[in-house]
Amino acid sequence: MVTERVEIPTQAAYESATPSRSMLPPWLVWGGMIGLVQIFAIATVQPLGVSTAYPQLVGWLVDKVVPGFAESQPYLQKIGVKIGWEVMLIVGLALGAFVSSLLPGGRSTPACDLPNVFRSSWGRGLAAFIGGFLILFGARLAGGCTSGHMLSGIAQLALSGFLFGAAAFATGVLTAILLLKRANGS
Amino acid sequence: METTQVLGLVTGLMFGFALHRAGFSRCGLVMRGLAFRDFTMLKVMLTAIAVGMVGAAALATFAPEYAHLKVKSLYVWGVLIGGLIFGVGMAVAGYCPGTALIGLGGRTRDGLLAVLGGLLGAFAFILAYPALEPVLMKPLDLGKLTLHETLHLPYLPTALVMAAALGGVVFWLNRLERRARA
Repeated sequence: MVTERVEIPTQAAYESATPSRSMLPPWLVWGGMIGLVQIFAIATVQPLGVSTAYPQLVGWLVDKVVPGFAESQPYLQKIGVKIGWEVMLIVGLALGAFVSSLLPGGRSTPACDLPNVFRSSWGRGLAAFIGGFLILFGARLAGGCTSGHMLSGIAQLALSGFLFGAAAFATGVLTAILLLKRANGS
Repeated sequence: METTQVLGLVTGLMFGFALHRAGFSRCGLVMRGLAFRDFTMLKVMLTAIAVGMVGAAALATFAPEYAHLKVKSLYVWGVLIGGLIFGVGMAVAGYCPGTALIGLGGRTRDGLLAVLGGLLGAFAFILAYPALEPVLMKPLDLGKLTLHETLHLPYLPTALVMAAALGGVVFWLNRLERRARA
Protein backbone atom coordinates (compact mmCIF):
# COMPACT_ATOMS: atom_id res chain seq x y z
CA MET A 1 0.00 0.00 0.00
CA VAL A 2 1.26 3.42 -0.93
CA THR A 3 1.17 5.71 2.04
CA GLU A 4 3.40 8.67 1.19
CA ARG A 5 1.77 11.94 0.36
CA VAL A 6 1.37 12.39 -3.37
CA GLU A 7 2.51 15.47 -5.21
CA ILE A 8 -0.36 16.55 -7.40
CA PRO A 9 0.91 18.96 -10.04
CA THR A 10 -1.59 21.55 -11.16
CA GLN A 11 -2.30 22.64 -14.70
CA ALA A 12 -0.72 25.98 -13.78
CA ALA A 13 2.53 24.14 -13.04
CA TYR A 14 2.49 22.60 -16.52
CA GLU A 15 1.73 25.92 -18.08
CA SER A 16 4.51 27.77 -16.30
CA ALA A 17 6.88 24.96 -17.38
CA THR A 18 5.96 25.56 -21.01
CA PRO A 19 5.05 29.24 -21.28
CA SER A 20 2.76 30.13 -24.12
CA ARG A 21 3.78 32.79 -26.60
CA SER A 22 0.39 34.44 -26.51
CA MET A 23 -0.57 36.95 -23.86
CA LEU A 24 -3.92 35.25 -23.35
CA PRO A 25 -4.11 32.31 -20.93
CA PRO A 26 -4.38 28.90 -22.70
CA TRP A 27 -7.76 28.03 -21.13
CA LEU A 28 -9.24 31.21 -22.66
CA VAL A 29 -7.66 30.65 -26.08
CA TRP A 30 -8.68 26.98 -26.37
CA GLY A 31 -12.01 27.32 -24.57
CA GLY A 32 -12.90 30.18 -26.92
CA MET A 33 -11.68 28.14 -29.88
CA ILE A 34 -13.96 25.21 -28.91
CA GLY A 35 -16.85 27.69 -28.77
CA LEU A 36 -16.02 28.83 -32.32
CA VAL A 37 -15.82 25.19 -33.49
CA GLN A 38 -19.28 24.75 -31.97
CA ILE A 39 -20.62 27.70 -33.99
CA PHE A 40 -19.01 26.23 -37.14
CA ALA A 41 -20.66 22.86 -36.41
CA ILE A 42 -24.10 24.45 -35.86
CA ALA A 43 -23.77 26.57 -39.00
CA THR A 44 -22.80 23.57 -41.16
CA VAL A 45 -24.45 20.36 -39.89
CA GLN A 46 -25.44 20.06 -36.21
CA PRO A 47 -24.17 20.88 -32.70
CA LEU A 48 -21.12 18.99 -31.40
CA GLY A 49 -21.83 15.52 -30.05
CA VAL A 50 -19.43 12.64 -29.57
CA SER A 51 -21.06 9.70 -27.86
CA THR A 52 -23.51 8.59 -30.61
CA ALA A 53 -20.51 7.63 -32.75
CA TYR A 54 -19.43 4.88 -30.32
CA PRO A 55 -22.51 2.62 -30.77
CA GLN A 56 -22.57 3.49 -34.49
CA LEU A 57 -18.97 2.33 -34.83
CA VAL A 58 -19.56 -0.77 -32.69
CA GLY A 59 -22.69 -1.62 -34.66
CA TRP A 60 -20.84 -1.19 -37.95
CA LEU A 61 -17.93 -3.39 -36.79
CA VAL A 62 -20.08 -6.15 -35.23
CA ASP A 63 -22.31 -6.17 -38.30
CA LYS A 64 -19.22 -6.99 -40.42
CA VAL A 65 -18.53 -10.06 -38.25
CA VAL A 66 -22.14 -11.04 -37.50
CA PRO A 67 -24.20 -10.05 -40.56
CA GLY A 68 -27.70 -8.91 -39.62
CA PHE A 69 -26.66 -7.65 -36.16
CA ALA A 70 -27.46 -4.02 -36.97
CA GLU A 71 -30.92 -4.92 -38.25
CA SER A 72 -31.67 -7.08 -35.22
CA GLN A 73 -30.97 -4.34 -32.65
CA PRO A 74 -33.69 -1.72 -32.06
CA TYR A 75 -31.16 0.83 -30.77
CA LEU A 76 -29.02 0.59 -33.90
CA GLN A 77 -32.13 0.96 -36.04
CA LYS A 78 -32.94 4.12 -34.12
CA ILE A 79 -29.54 5.81 -34.43
CA GLY A 80 -28.56 4.26 -37.76
CA VAL A 81 -25.34 2.37 -38.41
CA LYS A 82 -23.33 4.54 -40.74
CA ILE A 83 -19.97 6.19 -41.16
CA GLY A 84 -21.44 9.69 -41.22
CA TRP A 85 -20.74 13.07 -39.61
CA GLU A 86 -20.64 11.64 -36.06
CA VAL A 87 -18.09 8.87 -36.73
CA MET A 88 -15.94 11.18 -38.87
CA LEU A 89 -16.03 13.70 -36.01
CA ILE A 90 -14.44 11.22 -33.58
CA VAL A 91 -11.87 10.18 -36.20
CA GLY A 92 -11.04 13.89 -36.51
CA LEU A 93 -10.88 14.27 -32.71
CA ALA A 94 -8.19 11.60 -32.37
CA LEU A 95 -6.32 12.87 -35.46
CA GLY A 96 -6.44 16.49 -34.28
CA ALA A 97 -5.00 15.46 -30.90
CA PHE A 98 -2.34 13.38 -32.69
CA VAL A 99 -1.30 16.34 -34.86
CA SER A 100 -1.20 18.62 -31.80
CA SER A 101 0.99 16.13 -29.94
CA LEU A 102 3.56 16.18 -32.78
CA LEU A 103 3.76 19.97 -33.12
CA PRO A 104 5.92 22.21 -30.89
CA GLY A 105 4.31 22.71 -27.50
CA GLY A 106 2.44 19.41 -27.76
CA ARG A 107 4.68 18.06 -24.98
CA SER A 108 4.88 14.35 -24.34
CA THR A 109 2.21 13.38 -21.87
CA PRO A 110 2.46 10.60 -19.30
CA ALA A 111 -0.17 7.85 -19.43
CA CYS A 112 -1.68 9.36 -16.33
CA ASP A 113 -0.31 12.10 -14.16
CA LEU A 114 -2.05 10.73 -11.07
CA PRO A 115 -0.74 7.14 -10.97
CA ASN A 116 -0.85 6.78 -7.20
CA VAL A 117 -4.60 7.21 -7.09
CA PHE A 118 -4.84 3.68 -8.47
CA ARG A 119 -1.78 2.23 -6.65
CA SER A 120 -0.24 0.79 -9.83
CA SER A 121 -0.10 1.23 -13.57
CA TRP A 122 -2.32 -1.85 -13.92
CA GLY A 123 -4.85 -0.42 -11.52
CA ARG A 124 -4.87 2.84 -13.44
CA GLY A 125 -5.33 1.03 -16.77
CA LEU A 126 -8.22 -0.97 -15.37
CA ALA A 127 -9.80 2.23 -14.03
CA ALA A 128 -9.52 3.86 -17.46
CA PHE A 129 -11.24 0.85 -19.05
CA ILE A 130 -14.04 0.59 -16.47
CA GLY A 131 -14.50 4.36 -16.44
CA GLY A 132 -14.69 4.28 -20.24
CA PHE A 133 -17.42 1.63 -20.04
CA LEU A 134 -19.44 3.72 -17.56
CA ILE A 135 -19.22 7.03 -19.46
CA LEU A 136 -20.50 5.47 -22.67
CA PHE A 137 -23.25 3.44 -20.99
CA GLY A 138 -24.33 6.50 -19.00
CA ALA A 139 -24.11 8.86 -21.97
CA ARG A 140 -26.20 6.60 -24.20
CA LEU A 141 -28.85 6.17 -21.49
CA ALA A 142 -28.95 9.96 -21.05
CA GLY A 143 -28.80 10.64 -24.80
CA GLY A 144 -25.57 12.64 -24.76
CA CYS A 145 -22.24 13.28 -23.06
CA THR A 146 -20.14 16.29 -22.08
CA SER A 147 -20.30 17.44 -25.71
CA GLY A 148 -23.90 16.75 -26.65
CA HIS A 149 -25.55 17.59 -23.31
CA MET A 150 -23.21 20.25 -21.92
CA LEU A 151 -21.18 22.01 -24.65
CA SER A 152 -24.19 21.80 -26.99
CA GLY A 153 -27.21 21.22 -24.73
CA ILE A 154 -26.50 23.93 -22.18
CA ALA A 155 -25.33 26.27 -24.98
CA GLN A 156 -28.82 25.86 -26.52
CA LEU A 157 -30.38 26.42 -23.09
CA ALA A 158 -31.83 22.88 -23.20
CA LEU A 159 -33.27 21.77 -19.85
CA SER A 160 -32.02 18.20 -20.51
CA GLY A 161 -28.47 19.61 -20.66
CA PHE A 162 -28.81 21.35 -17.29
CA LEU A 163 -30.18 18.16 -15.65
CA PHE A 164 -27.43 15.98 -17.16
CA GLY A 165 -24.73 18.45 -16.11
CA ALA A 166 -26.02 18.63 -12.54
CA ALA A 167 -26.28 14.81 -12.25
CA ALA A 168 -22.85 14.15 -13.79
CA PHE A 169 -21.13 16.76 -11.63
CA ALA A 170 -22.85 15.49 -8.45
CA THR A 171 -21.40 11.97 -8.70
CA GLY A 172 -18.26 13.13 -10.52
CA VAL A 173 -17.22 15.55 -7.78
CA LEU A 174 -17.98 13.03 -5.04
CA THR A 175 -16.04 10.21 -6.75
CA ALA A 176 -13.04 12.42 -7.61
CA ILE A 177 -12.76 13.79 -4.07
CA LEU A 178 -12.89 10.26 -2.61
CA LEU A 179 -10.29 8.98 -5.11
CA LEU A 180 -7.82 11.83 -4.51
CA LYS A 181 -8.27 11.53 -0.76
CA ARG A 182 -7.31 7.87 -1.04
CA ALA A 183 -4.22 8.85 -3.03
CA ASN A 184 -3.07 11.10 -0.23
CA GLY A 185 -3.08 8.07 2.07
CA SER A 186 -4.64 9.93 4.94
CA MET B 1 -16.36 11.15 -49.23
CA GLU B 2 -19.66 12.95 -48.88
CA THR B 3 -19.77 16.61 -47.81
CA THR B 4 -21.16 15.80 -44.34
CA GLN B 5 -18.33 13.30 -43.78
CA VAL B 6 -15.72 15.92 -44.73
CA LEU B 7 -17.41 18.49 -42.48
CA GLY B 8 -17.42 15.97 -39.60
CA LEU B 9 -13.73 15.27 -40.09
CA VAL B 10 -12.76 18.96 -40.32
CA THR B 11 -14.86 19.84 -37.26
CA GLY B 12 -13.30 16.94 -35.35
CA LEU B 13 -9.76 17.98 -36.31
CA MET B 14 -10.27 21.51 -34.96
CA PHE B 15 -12.11 20.27 -31.85
CA GLY B 16 -9.44 17.63 -31.15
CA PHE B 17 -6.55 20.04 -31.64
CA ALA B 18 -8.09 22.56 -29.22
CA LEU B 19 -8.90 19.94 -26.56
CA HIS B 20 -5.36 18.52 -26.76
CA ARG B 21 -3.82 21.99 -26.46
CA ALA B 22 -6.03 22.66 -23.43
CA GLY B 23 -4.44 19.59 -21.77
CA PHE B 24 -7.24 17.00 -21.93
CA SER B 25 -5.05 14.08 -23.04
CA ARG B 26 -4.00 13.75 -19.41
CA CYS B 27 -6.61 12.17 -17.18
CA GLY B 28 -5.48 14.35 -14.29
CA LEU B 29 -7.04 17.49 -15.73
CA VAL B 30 -10.57 16.09 -15.35
CA MET B 31 -9.90 14.35 -12.03
CA ARG B 32 -8.39 17.46 -10.41
CA GLY B 33 -11.10 19.56 -12.00
CA LEU B 34 -13.87 17.46 -10.47
CA ALA B 35 -12.13 17.56 -7.06
CA PHE B 36 -11.89 21.40 -7.34
CA ARG B 37 -8.09 21.31 -7.10
CA ASP B 38 -7.63 22.90 -10.51
CA PHE B 39 -10.22 25.01 -12.32
CA THR B 40 -8.78 24.63 -15.83
CA MET B 41 -11.39 22.06 -16.92
CA LEU B 42 -14.26 24.23 -15.68
CA LYS B 43 -12.82 27.40 -17.22
CA VAL B 44 -12.35 25.77 -20.64
CA MET B 45 -15.83 24.20 -20.56
CA LEU B 46 -17.68 27.28 -19.37
CA THR B 47 -15.86 29.54 -21.85
CA ALA B 48 -16.72 27.17 -24.71
CA ILE B 49 -20.37 26.96 -23.59
CA ALA B 50 -20.69 30.74 -23.27
CA VAL B 51 -19.25 31.38 -26.76
CA GLY B 52 -21.43 28.63 -28.26
CA MET B 53 -24.49 29.97 -26.43
CA VAL B 54 -24.13 33.45 -27.93
CA GLY B 55 -23.30 31.98 -31.35
CA ALA B 56 -26.28 29.60 -31.39
CA ALA B 57 -28.75 32.31 -30.38
CA ALA B 58 -27.23 34.84 -32.81
CA LEU B 59 -27.47 32.34 -35.69
CA ALA B 60 -31.07 31.47 -34.77
CA THR B 61 -31.96 35.17 -34.67
CA PHE B 62 -30.05 36.65 -37.62
CA ALA B 63 -29.39 33.68 -39.92
CA PRO B 64 -31.97 31.00 -39.09
CA GLU B 65 -31.15 29.10 -42.29
CA TYR B 66 -27.70 28.39 -40.77
CA ALA B 67 -28.94 27.52 -37.27
CA HIS B 68 -28.93 23.70 -37.28
CA LEU B 69 -29.91 23.46 -33.62
CA LYS B 70 -30.71 20.12 -32.00
CA VAL B 71 -32.28 20.28 -28.56
CA LYS B 72 -32.35 16.93 -26.76
CA SER B 73 -35.47 15.56 -25.16
CA LEU B 74 -35.82 15.74 -21.38
CA TYR B 75 -36.77 12.17 -20.42
CA VAL B 76 -36.16 12.70 -16.72
CA TRP B 77 -35.22 9.18 -15.54
CA GLY B 78 -32.82 8.33 -18.33
CA VAL B 79 -31.08 11.71 -18.33
CA LEU B 80 -30.80 11.73 -14.54
CA ILE B 81 -29.62 8.13 -14.03
CA GLY B 82 -27.42 8.25 -17.14
CA GLY B 83 -25.84 11.45 -15.82
CA LEU B 84 -25.18 9.90 -12.40
CA ILE B 85 -23.47 6.87 -13.99
CA PHE B 86 -21.57 9.18 -16.35
CA GLY B 87 -20.18 11.25 -13.45
CA VAL B 88 -18.73 8.20 -11.69
CA GLY B 89 -17.14 7.00 -14.93
CA MET B 90 -15.72 10.42 -15.73
CA ALA B 91 -14.00 10.65 -12.32
CA VAL B 92 -12.69 7.05 -12.42
CA ALA B 93 -11.39 7.27 -16.00
CA GLY B 94 -10.42 10.93 -15.95
CA TYR B 95 -11.97 11.14 -19.39
CA CYS B 96 -15.30 11.76 -21.07
CA PRO B 97 -16.17 10.15 -24.44
CA GLY B 98 -14.54 13.06 -26.31
CA THR B 99 -11.39 13.47 -24.23
CA ALA B 100 -10.75 9.69 -24.23
CA LEU B 101 -10.17 10.12 -27.97
CA ILE B 102 -7.83 13.03 -27.18
CA GLY B 103 -5.91 10.66 -24.90
CA LEU B 104 -5.82 8.09 -27.72
CA GLY B 105 -4.67 10.62 -30.32
CA GLY B 106 -2.21 12.05 -27.81
CA ARG B 107 -0.69 8.55 -27.62
CA THR B 108 -1.51 7.70 -24.02
CA ARG B 109 -2.20 4.09 -23.09
CA ASP B 110 -5.06 5.09 -20.82
CA GLY B 111 -6.81 7.01 -23.60
CA LEU B 112 -6.76 3.82 -25.68
CA LEU B 113 -8.08 1.75 -22.76
CA ALA B 114 -10.85 4.28 -22.06
CA VAL B 115 -11.92 4.22 -25.73
CA LEU B 116 -11.97 0.40 -25.71
CA GLY B 117 -13.98 0.41 -22.47
CA GLY B 118 -16.29 2.95 -24.10
CA LEU B 119 -16.86 0.76 -27.16
CA LEU B 120 -17.74 -2.13 -24.82
CA GLY B 121 -20.05 0.15 -22.82
CA ALA B 122 -21.76 1.23 -26.04
CA PHE B 123 -22.14 -2.44 -27.05
CA ALA B 124 -23.66 -3.26 -23.64
CA PHE B 125 -26.12 -0.38 -24.07
CA ILE B 126 -27.17 -1.58 -27.54
CA LEU B 127 -28.07 -4.95 -25.98
CA ALA B 128 -29.70 -3.40 -22.88
CA TYR B 129 -31.76 -0.83 -24.82
CA PRO B 130 -34.90 -2.97 -25.37
CA ALA B 131 -35.08 -3.60 -21.59
CA LEU B 132 -34.20 -0.05 -20.49
CA GLU B 133 -36.19 2.00 -22.99
CA PRO B 134 -39.72 1.22 -21.67
CA VAL B 135 -38.63 1.78 -18.04
CA LEU B 136 -36.22 4.74 -18.11
CA MET B 137 -36.55 6.48 -21.47
CA LYS B 138 -40.23 6.39 -22.47
CA PRO B 139 -41.95 7.41 -19.20
CA LEU B 140 -41.76 11.03 -18.01
CA ASP B 141 -40.46 12.30 -21.36
CA LEU B 142 -41.16 16.02 -21.16
CA GLY B 143 -39.94 16.72 -24.70
CA LYS B 144 -37.42 19.13 -26.16
CA LEU B 145 -37.70 21.85 -23.53
CA THR B 146 -35.51 24.94 -23.42
CA LEU B 147 -35.11 27.47 -20.63
CA HIS B 148 -36.31 30.45 -22.67
CA GLU B 149 -39.37 28.72 -24.15
CA THR B 150 -40.41 27.26 -20.79
CA LEU B 151 -40.19 30.68 -19.13
CA HIS B 152 -41.58 32.52 -22.21
CA LEU B 153 -38.46 34.65 -22.53
CA PRO B 154 -36.95 35.97 -25.78
CA TYR B 155 -34.12 33.68 -27.00
CA LEU B 156 -31.22 36.04 -27.77
CA PRO B 157 -31.45 38.27 -24.64
CA THR B 158 -31.78 35.17 -22.42
CA ALA B 159 -28.71 33.61 -24.07
CA LEU B 160 -26.72 36.84 -23.66
CA VAL B 161 -27.60 37.11 -19.96
CA MET B 162 -26.79 33.42 -19.33
CA ALA B 163 -23.50 33.68 -21.24
CA ALA B 164 -22.55 36.80 -19.25
CA ALA B 165 -23.33 34.89 -16.03
CA LEU B 166 -21.07 32.02 -17.16
CA GLY B 167 -18.38 34.57 -18.00
CA GLY B 168 -18.74 35.96 -14.48
CA VAL B 169 -18.28 32.49 -12.99
CA VAL B 170 -15.13 31.96 -15.10
CA PHE B 171 -13.75 35.33 -13.99
CA TRP B 172 -14.45 34.46 -10.36
CA LEU B 173 -12.86 30.98 -10.64
CA ASN B 174 -9.79 32.56 -12.22
CA ARG B 175 -9.47 35.05 -9.38
CA LEU B 176 -9.91 32.33 -6.76
CA GLU B 177 -7.12 30.33 -8.40
CA ARG B 178 -4.79 33.31 -8.60
CA ARG B 179 -5.35 34.14 -4.96
CA ALA B 180 -4.68 30.54 -3.93
CA ARG B 181 -1.41 30.62 -5.89
CA ALA B 182 -0.28 33.97 -4.50
